[in-house]
This record gives sequence, C-alpha cells and structure tokens, in this order.
Amino acid sequence: MAGFCFRRSSSFSFDPVGIGLRYPYYQQILDERPSVGWLEVHPENYFGGGLHRHFLKEVSEHYPISLHAVGLSLGSVHPVSKDHLDKIRDLIELVDPIAVSDHASWSASGNAHLNDLLPLPYNRETLDALCRNIDRTQEYLGFSILIENPSTYIAFRDNEMCEAAFMNEAARKTGCGLLLDINNIYVQSRNHGLDPFEYIDVIEGEKVGEMHLAGHTERPAGDGVIVVDTHNRPVRDEVWDLYTHAVRRFGCVPTLIEWDQDYPALEILVAEAKKARQILLSMSEEASHAAE
Amino acid sequence: MRLNDFQKRFKDIILDTPEALEDVPESFASLFHAEDIALSERLKVYRSTIVGGIAENLCKTFPLLEALVGKDFLLDMARRFVMAHPPESGCLNLYGRGFDAFIRSYAPAHGLPYLPDMASLEIAMNEAYYADDDEALTARDLAAFPPEALGDLVLKPRESVRLIRSSYALDALRSYCLEPGGQPPNLNKKTYLLVLRPSLDVAIVKLEHSEYFFLGLLDNRVSLGAAAAETLERYHGFDFTVFFEKFLSLETFKGLHSNS
Repeated sequence: MAGFCFRRSSSFSFDPVGIGLRYPYYQQILDERPSVGWLEVHPENYFGGGLHRHFLKEVSEHYPISLHAVGLSLGSVHPVSKDHLDKIRDLIELVDPIAVSDHASWSASGNAHLNDLLPLPYNRETLDALCRNIDRTQEYLGFSILIENPSTYIAFRDNEMCEAAFMNEAARKTGCGLLLDINNIYVQSRNHGLDPFEYIDVIEGEKVGEMHLAGHTERPAGDGVIVVDTHNRPVRDEVWDLYTHAVRRFGCVPTLIEWDQDYPALEILVAEAKKARQILLSMSEEASHAAE
Repeated sequence: MRLNDFQKRFKDIILDTPEALEDVPESFASLFHAEDIALSERLKVYRSTIVGGIAENLCKTFPLLEALVGKDFLLDMARRFVMAHPPESGCLNLYGRGFDAFIRSYAPAHGLPYLPDMASLEIAMNEAYYADDDEALTARDLAAFPPEALGDLVLKPRESVRLIRSSYALDALRSYCLEPGGQPPNLNKKTYLLVLRPSLDVAIVKLEHSEYFFLGLLDNRVSLGAAAAETLERYHGFDFTVFFEKFLSLETFKGLHSNS
C-alpha cells in the first residue's frame, strides 16, 4: 500500500483532479463513470456497515479514493481517539486510499465533540499539541498523512507566527504533508486582512501534497461581512486566480473540487474539475517550457 | 490562556444560550481581534455551524417525528438536546441515542405521550441502518447443526436487530406519517416490533408478544434450549417450527460461525 501521501508531479499515474463522492451521486457515478481522476470521502460517513459502505466499496473498484477525515480533532489537547483511528484503519483496508488527511484545527474538548473545524492560536503550545496528535496518527496508521489549513472567523491577538509558518512548522516537525485549501486561504485573507498570495509564497512547496477548491458565502455581520467556508457554490474567480498562482508555484499537485451542501448536478462538479485540470496542465506546460 | 482552558471556555460559550454570545467575559474576549466586526458576530458563525449544524443533522434521523410535530418544533427540540447532550464522537451517524429520554422530559412535548416511543423506533432504525455488516443464518445452516447440540446453542441476532415495545400503535402511526390522510389511527394499543437490516434496507416487522418474548431471551444470550423452555412455560403451544420458518426467512440471526 504505497503512496498514501500523494506522489508529486509526473510520478502519479492518474488524472490529478478529483471530486467528492456524496450520497446523491452514488448511483450516477457508478452508471456514468464521469471523467475525474479520483474521489474524496469523509471517512466518518462510512463508519459502520450498510448502504454507504456498500457503495464506497463498489466505487473504489473504479476510482482511487482519498480519505479526508473531519473528526480526529488533531488540535485538541487530549490524544486523538483510538476508536476513531481504528475505524479509519478499517476503511483503509477496505479501499486502499491514495491519501489520508485531516485538519489543523480542533473539535473536541472534554467529552464534547463539536463536529466543526475550530481555530487554534498559532503558538508553541498549540504546535506541540497538534504535532503530538499528528505523530500519534501517523504512528498508528503507519504512514504520513496530510493536514489542511483552516477557515476561521476569529483571530487571536497573541499569535507567535503566521498561519502559513505554523503549517510549515507542523509539517517539518512531523513529516506530514500539507493539504493546501486555496478557498480557505482566500477566506482567511478576507476575514483577517491577510495577503493570500503572500500566504502561498510562504508555504514550503515540497510539503504540499494536495490542494482543495470550493465555494464560499459572504454573511452580513453587523456593519461588515464574514466570509464563511460553506462548500455550497462554484469556486469564485478570485479563488481560481489564487489557484493559478499556487499551481505556478507548486506544480501539478492533485486537486479536489469540494461541494458539501446544496448539491448541484454532477455535470457541474465535473465541469469545475475540468477547469482545474486545464489550469494544472497549462501551468505544468509553462513550467516545462521555462525549464527548457 | 492555556490551550486547554481556551478550548473548554469556547465549548462552554458555544453550547450555552444564544444570549451568552453577547456577553462574553472580558478575560475571554481579550484573546481575539474584533476591531471591525464584533466578537459576538464572529462567534455566531460558529454557533450556527455547531449547534445549528448538529441539530439539523439530528433531525434527519427523525423524519417520522418531523411528520408528527413539524420541522420547527423538532429543530427547537434538537437544538436543546445538542446543548444539553453534545456529541461525544467525531462521527455523527449514531448521534441521537438518548433523544427519546430527552423528549420524555421536554415539557412542550408532554401533550404527545407517544413521541418518545416513536423516537425510540427511529433510533433503532438508524442504528440498524449503520450496523456492522454480517452474514445471516440460513435454514440449511441450522439443519446441519447436530440436533443433540441445539439446546446449548446460543443463537445471536444480527448486529442490526433491535426489539421495540410500546404502549402505542407505533406501526400504525408510522404508516399514517408516511401516507397521511384519512382517520388518524387508534394509538392505544400495545405494540411489539422487530427492527433489522437484512441487506441494505431497514425492515420493521410486527411481532406477537410471544415472538417478542422468545427473541428477547435469545437477544440476551440465553441458550436455545433454555429460551424455548421458558417460552413454552409462558405460551403453551408456541410453535417453534413456524417461528424459525418466519425469522430465518427474515434473516434475523447471525451465521453459525458467529454463534456458539
């Protein structure tokens, strides 16, 4: 079971753009086999048996699968749940995934699991807690995972480093890869006044194993607007621009189109994937011409 | 503030009443930037995705309750349940255990005394839906078992099997919810139900009390011989041949390799 961390540039042998496998698309994906390279699932939706596991197994015979977890709560102070890891390991045996990932965020405190990807202060204490849980996860699974940069709606006054540096440091200390969510970078730039291009420039390119693209929503808040990572609409032009910049910098990194609410027709997801593929391929050609 | 303290206080504020977001203690508020947009507005986004999101997810497990009380009533009840009993796992598939007991103590629902039992049925259906896959015992498997050893056999129900008992006609009420119209059913009737998932779809089977009794003993790991004797003592003339024909065809028990 080699290659749990996405292999880079020309070394992977599949179409680099994937979409999410979600319930409304199960049968259509099996019937029509849309032209995408791989499918992403949240493993938590496939814990237990029954219909979802049945379809996942069937679909995994036709597409590579990426397990993108949302429930490990890697940024919690307490250790990652062994029961949760056991269930992910069970799915790894079922679908032999091309990647396993979760987020640089927290969800659980005490006995409560808030089932959201919550913000962390960027300091040494947090970095140590996050890295302990990434280490535990990688040790338990026996391979490197990817961790994703978050969207957040509050910002800490006493951050000791910027978010991009925090992500680099986590990857450096644990050997994990980075899953760079371009929409999240855009959301951070709007909510916290960052320069998103500078964020991408700070990220260490060799750590990036996957990228995500998604839509977001602007929510009125008092006299201002909070940009919320809702995954319920097409990728915005500003995010495509950032993605082009990221591809130019990181190369042909496997990319996911995320859509988790208000599901559109499958054709719309496939069209978004096609757009991402065109950017990946054109930028790769540009890079190889430059190398000549 | 240490990370552990921040996470605990954040959790407590989010799971508190909505008004708590407007009056966050200064020692917590001072941790964050809030120059352009108030902290309460920022925290509302989290409260909406956490309490609102989990409650919406919970409602999906209870479509029959929704048919009975409407979405607004159910969602309000679900929100209060989330605040009082937040999930303990990063997987929400089975979240909602205890919702039936919560409804029993929820004053606005006291006029609908059958509601907690209906919630118990939907919890059982949800657990059956996500139960681990397993193989069913067939008549052929059972026939191959040495007859002299059958009495000591502990016949295990499938992972999805749940037994439901109610003072109300839950099956009739369910049918009414699924196809509303006509006269509401007479609810005051004791009902015994078997919930299970033979393959991918959840099935609900109405039981005689004797069947419920015998299945209950088997579910409690009583050996076949002892369960049969206890059932016969209470229900003279209980027909085990008919019972096994019915419940083997419903794929109620685990394959023999899982039984002892």
